[in-house]
Amino acid sequence: MNRLIKLSFLFSALALTYACTNLDETLEDELTSEFSDDGVVVPGGNSGGTGALLGAYNGLRTGTANHGSYFSTQEVSSDELTIGAKGGDWFDGGIWVRMHQHTFGSAHVALNDTWNNAYAGIGQVNLALAGTLSADEIAQAKTIRAFHYMRLLDLFGRVKIITTAGGDAPQSTRLEVFNFVESELLDALGIPAVTSTMDLSGSVLGTGSQPYVVNQFAVLGLLTKLYLNAEVYSGTARYQEADWAATYVIDNGPYQLCSDGCSQPNLAKRPAVASDPANLEGYAAVFAPNNENNPEMIWSINYDETSATGMNFGQMGLHYSSQLTYALDAQPWNGYQVLEEFYNSYEANDARKEANFLVGPQTDFGGSALLDFAADDPDLVVDYTPAINELQPNSLRQSGTRMKKFSFQLFGRPEMNNDYPVVRLGDLMLMRGEARARAAADWSLALPDVNAIRDRAKVSPLASVNADSFFDERGREMFQEASRRTDLIRFGKWSDPWWEKTNSEAFRTVFPIPQPQIDASSGSLTQNLGY
Amino acid sequence: MKNKLLKKLLLPLAMLFGSFIYAQSVTGTVSDASGPLPGVNVLVKSTATGTVTDFDGNFQINANNGDTLVFSFVGYLTQEILVSGTTINVTLAEDAAQLDEVVVVGYGSTTKKEVTTAVTSVNAKDFNQGVISDPTQLLQGKVPGLSIYNKGGNPNSTGTIRLRGISTIGGNTEPLVVIDGVQGQSLNNVDPSDIENITVLKDGSAAAIYGTRGSSGVILVTTKSGKKGQALQVNYNAQFAANTIANQISVMNSAQFLAAGGTDLGSSTDWLDEVTETGFSQTHNVSAVGGSDNATYRVSLNFRDEEGILINTGFNQVNARTKFSGKILNDKLKIDFNSSLTRRDSQFGFNEALRYAVLYNPTAPILGVDAPFAFNSDQFGGFFETLGLFDSFNPVSIAQQNKNNGEQNTLNYSLDFQYTLTDDISANLSFGEQNIKTSTRQYYPTTSFFRGGALSPFNKGRADFFTSESKNHTLDLYATYNKVFNDSFTFKFTGGYSFQESDYNEYNLGLGDFPPGVDFNFSNAIEVSQDLLEAGRVRANSGRNDNDRIIGFFARANATINDAIYVNASIRREGSSRFGVDERWGYFPAGAIGADINKYLELENVNLLKVRLGYGVTGAIPPGVGLSQTTFGVNNGADGFGASGTGLGTRKPNPGLKWEEKRELNLGFEFETNRLSATLDLYTRDIVDFITNVNIDAAANDGFTSQFQNGGKLNTEGIELSLNYDVIKTDKISYNSGIIFSSYTSKLEKNTGGDRTIANLGAPGQNGTNLIIVREGKEIGQIWGPVFSGEVDANGSPILVDVNGDGNLVTDQGNALAEDADFKVLGHGLPDFELGWTNQITIGNWDVNAFFRGAFGHSLVNTFRAFYEPIIGSQASYNFVNTDLARSDIRTAQFSSYYVEKADFFKLDNLSVGYNFNLNNNYFKNIRLSISGQNLFTITNYTGSDPEPALQDFGPADNGGFVNASPDVLAPGIDRRNNYFSSTKITFGVNINF
Repeated sequence: MNRLIKLSFLFSALALTYACTNLDETLEDELTSEFSDDGVVVPGGNSGGTGALLGAYNGLRTGTANHGSYFSTQEVSSDELTIGAKGGDWFDGGIWVRMHQHTFGSAHVALNDTWNNAYAGIGQVNLALAGTLSADEIAQAKTIRAFHYMRLLDLFGRVKIITTAGGDAPQSTRLEVFNFVESELLDALGIPAVTSTMDLSGSVLGTGSQPYVVNQFAVLGLLTKLYLNAEVYSGTARYQEADWAATYVIDNGPYQLCSDGCSQPNLAKRPAVASDPANLEGYAAVFAPNNENNPEMIWSINYDETSATGMNFGQMGLHYSSQLTYALDAQPWNGYQVLEEFYNSYEANDARKEANFLVGPQTDFGGSALLDFAADDPDLVVDYTPAINELQPNSLRQSGTRMKKFSFQLFGRPEMNNDYPVVRLGDLMLMRGEARARAAADWSLALPDVNAIRDRAKVSPLASVNADSFFDERGREMFQEASRRTDLIRFGKWSDPWWEKTNSEAFRTVFPIPQPQIDASSGSLTQNLGY
Repeated sequence: MKNKLLKKLLLPLAMLFGSFIYAQSVTGTVSDASGPLPGVNVLVKSTATGTVTDFDGNFQINANNGDTLVFSFVGYLTQEILVSGTTINVTLAEDAAQLDEVVVVGYGSTTKKEVTTAVTSVNAKDFNQGVISDPTQLLQGKVPGLSIYNKGGNPNSTGTIRLRGISTIGGNTEPLVVIDGVQGQSLNNVDPSDIENITVLKDGSAAAIYGTRGSSGVILVTTKSGKKGQALQVNYNAQFAANTIANQISVMNSAQFLAAGGTDLGSSTDWLDEVTETGFSQTHNVSAVGGSDNATYRVSLNFRDEEGILINTGFNQVNARTKFSGKILNDKLKIDFNSSLTRRDSQFGFNEALRYAVLYNPTAPILGVDAPFAFNSDQFGGFFETLGLFDSFNPVSIAQQNKNNGEQNTLNYSLDFQYTLTDDISANLSFGEQNIKTSTRQYYPTTSFFRGGALSPFNKGRADFFTSESKNHTLDLYATYNKVFNDSFTFKFTGGYSFQESDYNEYNLGLGDFPPGVDFNFSNAIEVSQDLLEAGRVRANSGRNDNDRIIGFFARANATINDAIYVNASIRREGSSRFGVDERWGYFPAGAIGADINKYLELENVNLLKVRLGYGVTGAIPPGVGLSQTTFGVNNGADGFGASGTGLGTRKPNPGLKWEEKRELNLGFEFETNRLSATLDLYTRDIVDFITNVNIDAAANDGFTSQFQNGGKLNTEGIELSLNYDVIKTDKISYNSGIIFSSYTSKLEKNTGGDRTIANLGAPGQNGTNLIIVREGKEIGQIWGPVFSGEVDANGSPILVDVNGDGNLVTDQGNALAEDADFKVLGHGLPDFELGWTNQITIGNWDVNAFFRGAFGHSLVNTFRAFYEPIIGSQASYNFVNTDLARSDIRTAQFSSYYVEKADFFKLDNLSVGYNFNLNNNYFKNIRLSISGQNLFTITNYTGSDPEPALQDFGPADNGGFVNASPDVLAPGIDRRNNYFSSTKITFGVNINF
């Protein structure tokens, strides 16, 4: 008996010791292998097909139309939008006041998030490029990557150009980044340079009108924007090439301005409110929740309330009570306000004024007065006033008109359905007009394009145009499309004073390299001049 | 058997003739201060003749006049009495020195005098009194170096435990719990009434035998058990308690609010009063213990019913525990079987009800019908809501309409075989399993504005279900060689193997859009959720960690020389599946030496003067599984892109992720006389290569922004002192007073993760306002911010101080770390020192226990004040916090030193008075009645609800959002708005021994 027990102890000791030193770990609730769109595990990367570029395209969404990243830095630093500190609400340590007043520092959290989002998008592209792609897909992927670098070029100037998964590179100069973006875009088109007689027949990219897929026209649109700003980015003006690129798209592309007859059902029409239009027409239709097939879109970022999330304009701008106007899923945040001067730059009958802004006394879903039980004044009705009393500390809760260009829909969710244009025809026409005018130093050359845009907006044509009036027109057209900061810099107005902002230092035309990136880079990233 | 029979036959003969021929029969009773003592060994000195006292303490033994009887019992001083006559009644005194008291340590036990490491043992009689549901609360303030804080005292939350501060940055910082020898068990599965002793292994040399899991210290729980040869004894005890709110946030009443310019909604409501109540609690405990020569047993059944001070909060708990120990095979094989089953049904309620009760407009009505304007009450279940205001929900509606319930079933059992191979060698095989199943259900009806989407057209109502199951197996196999070579040298060696595996899985389902106006538990009808028809609405999630293993091999040697010098060395080789393939195994050595100097000095009246020195290395496993591996995200197929594919994942892999090490050196002194005992421990420890989430250069890392890396060093130095003195010690009256003191500082000596500020104050309006600085070379837990000058400008903005005097005021959060920033350390989240003061008084049958506790030197960010004390015009629909520090001229919410308060406190934590009736009749042996109070008064200048330190931070939550599930240990010192409010509890207790 004793021996038996001794033996069994010994045996179990041996058995356990040998059997139980296995420490291999399996993560059962995570994807630890890559898989393809048909569900087959492919250790080396994607097998191709449309799914191969999903990640690359998805990487465009974050930051483009939500709070705290690219959109916020690009817009709140401009004279279009601001985020007033509404008492305790939205003070947020003063970061938005500083963004508005151009006193931001390198630790500004939105700058770091902007940076991270861009490189996450670039990482997605590099991951896709490491797999097997068709020539068309490679060109699309490189265009998406060049678009991220174009943003970085515009925002930060001196960044690292990473072109392979897992790769690193030294920090490039702004000129080097400019040259990289240009050559990548030209490569995608298969041409050595943009000329008036360029032949794109050798391009691997398509010419179809599917706005979510990069085609030749999308690349030319990016080149237009790049050349238009070349003087700022590289010190050398390239307006002629900007004109040629835009003209090629306008002449050869299947796109048209969305004007009379171009309409979509108004998804925000309240059944009980007769004054809500049944349809959104023209300019307003371009940005509507159901804008996916709009003829003006050359390249747009797909947003969907469930499968392609990342657009929160309704949450960002609307007053809490406006939830009851549209019967929204969630309570909005009452953050972004439109500057009064910007709002007043529109003529009264400008169709874009109605389309872009929510103003005045508000009504609820049933058409009754919309109440704010925490109103600053005894009148409980929510009334968006164009005037904003102050930036801080007590910016009134109902002050400032609210952005509505990417319009809302009844029963909408915090995530919106509106697609966001990267390149659209209206923008391209204004860029062509400006490029022509600048190339020849004659603003009258911009007049045809400006008046085509004004015609669509139902305002009378201008007899003449100069840099200032062109700038104002471009502002009215491009509100909320994250263009204003770049435009202000190009027109030399970025450092000017405006509401609640004094002159800003010259070095602030680029943002500081985010401090956390510098800290983590082991000295491979250095700060921009002035910061 | 044969022997026994013989004895039985011979005994009457011996008695008959003994007095004439050989010996007389001596009888008597052995008792202690509280009554008869069963099971006492009675031995005729220098003979083999002996007996044991019976249930009533009586004995009978044959002895001659002139013989010496030796009375001995564990925990009591041995007494020798010369026989003269036939009756001897003895009262045994408790062994004050208790040097031979058995102290459990890892994989075995030792005696107190042999302990060479920092170990504190607390017996049941020294526990905190009253209705205590969380076993850690028994120890609060009793163990130097052990900090236990349950801020606010929510009955459903367990305290945060820290032994000597944090021991790792990212991973588990709570001590390992070992219950009756089984590792990794849940303290929630032990009813406080079943606990006999809790021993805390504090330093690295003690804990190293447990390897990684002991890195944050080890709490060894020994449950009560039966005694050998003891007849069945039944005990019943019950407690009844009333729980009232102790301290709340001071806010304006409706008149003050209107005078301050608040928005008038026409009523006057005391919201805190509406959502709080006196909570009544009761506990019942029945236990039966007994034993024969070969076996002992104890079974107990515990029932608890607790109510919190917030309406609709509390729990019911039933716990059953059995403990069996038997010996077979000529006492060579000892088998222990323990099992425990706990079922707890909780009403968690919503802490948010307290938060919104503080900030809700005091002129708002409870019900919508009392609104000063037309209000659609039906939409909100009849309640009023301040629509249009961010982060504002009717607290009564939150507490009454919604449900947040859960149940937890915990089962564990362990089986231990100890086989004595030879006189010197024994082998142990023990197997333990623990199984915890939890299920939480939250229901927000279609009329709830808070999370229920009452305003939402198509998303009304919400039901959240969460279930998890965690299984934990342990298997330990070890052998002990124990040899007494001679009087001056004994040697003990233990070696073995340990295997631990845990499997965990969880499921989460949340869905909504229920038919309006129906009051039902959505679990009964989740199929009617319209969310099921719409993509993207149903929230479903799963998590699973399987085969999470720790495997260890260990060896320990102890030697005792001259019964005065004690040497102890151990090593453990351990592997964890959580590391990179090449870095899984590590070695964790420890060594300690202790010497009882008094054996050589032989000072008078001194029982012990011991010096001990220990050094040990432990590890720490990473905070989660798989951190060394990468994972991939899924790109959903959006319009035009068909199917889904692989995207970039959620984290950057680090195949070189390895053990972090904690190296601890401990120097201890122990001193004991008959009346005084003192223990002093000094320690220093370094945590090197700690695992932390490091920001990485996104450009160079495929867009990943962070990665788990080994990087950094944290040093903690501390001192712990405990003193115990018998002020009065007579038969009738005794008074014992004890003080414990502990203090430590933790400094971040190296931090690869980079200097940064953390712990966002949150919405409304204070996002991006980080409260804590993490900076290399500095202490952890420093509150960081601009300094209020005391002056306010014309706008009502507080004027901040130009701290560095450079004439340039830099106080924006973005520049918090800049060289020219006018920020400074506004306070420390961790206390400078903590104090516990115990007083035990016995007068006849009365006993009084008074326990005071304090923590000093820490500060708290009073977030309620930071948000709601400034009289902000556009925020006039939140109530204003109105403490003594409130200033009507501050009209903007700017975080500054003004909202950081010193939170030193000293409180009467526990006072109990008891009376013992020693009946000893046929029915009752004795009855004890007691009354006790918890948290009776607090001396503090802190204006918030509870000045206890906040050891970790759960982050902000706003507008119905949820707090962070994994707290940040680097951000102590923030009194968040979601904390429960502290309460005072009065308990009446009865204890009956049958």
